[in-house]
Amino acid sequence: MSGRKETMLDLVKFVDKGVQVKLTGGRQVCFFFNLQSGRKETMLDLVKFVDKGVQVKLTGGRQVTGTLKGYDQLLNLVLDGAVESVRDHDDPLKITDQTRVLGLIVCRGTVVMLVSPTDGTEEIANPVMLVSPTDGTV
Amino acid sequence: MASNNLSQLLPSELIDRCIGSKIRVIMKGDKELVGVLKGFDVYVNMVLEDVTEFEITAEGSRVTKLDQILLNGNNIAILVPGGAPEDVE
Repeated sequence: MSGRKETMLDLVKFVDKGVQVKLTGGRQVCFFFNLQSGRKETMLDLVKFVDKGVQVKLTGGRQVTGTLKGYDQLLNLVLDGAVESVRDHDDPLKITDQTRVLGLIVCRGTVVMLVSPTDGTEEIANPVMLVSPTDGTV
Repeated sequence: MASNNLSQLLPSELIDRCIGSKIRVIMKGDKELVGVLKGFDVYVNMVLEDVTEFEITAEGSRVTKLDQILLNGNNIAILVPGGAPEDVE
């Protein structure tokens, strides 16, 4: 109404309070709302990853590794020498061993789900015990 | 601010440099488009020309659209300047 860009409800009154958040898609989370600083910052400053290898997981299931060359506040990323890990055609949840070289790319911040350093991540045997079909629990 | 250090490459700069040349747009799903980038906005909606659309699962090259298209940035995942080596015939 005032013409300024404000949300309907100023979340400052929730700081340091427990909040329940309902997400689109049906998920629901509860957490304590903290304000680290007054400024709009990402939790992790990506400057420490610049010129390092990173693995980026995107919503929709894509997975890309590359060297982080740049980023912005919206989490758009510039990756050099990017390689996409190809998903299985039949089972989109499974990553095949095939890779596709993309080169210098921009990853849209709106789809970036996870950024982790390639140095320091290793694949381990699946620790989750897969239950038999008769047992309904996951 | 996220980018005090200007020795890094801003994503919007890279896309900006691409204007006038071929770019490959990879969507969240299995669709990709290759075309000449005419422009984009802050939401990375894109105007592309001479576009070829690829459906990656069936590995079929689909519709070749000419004139200009406005591609909604909602589903764009990855941008690859210069298309990709496989496209160069």
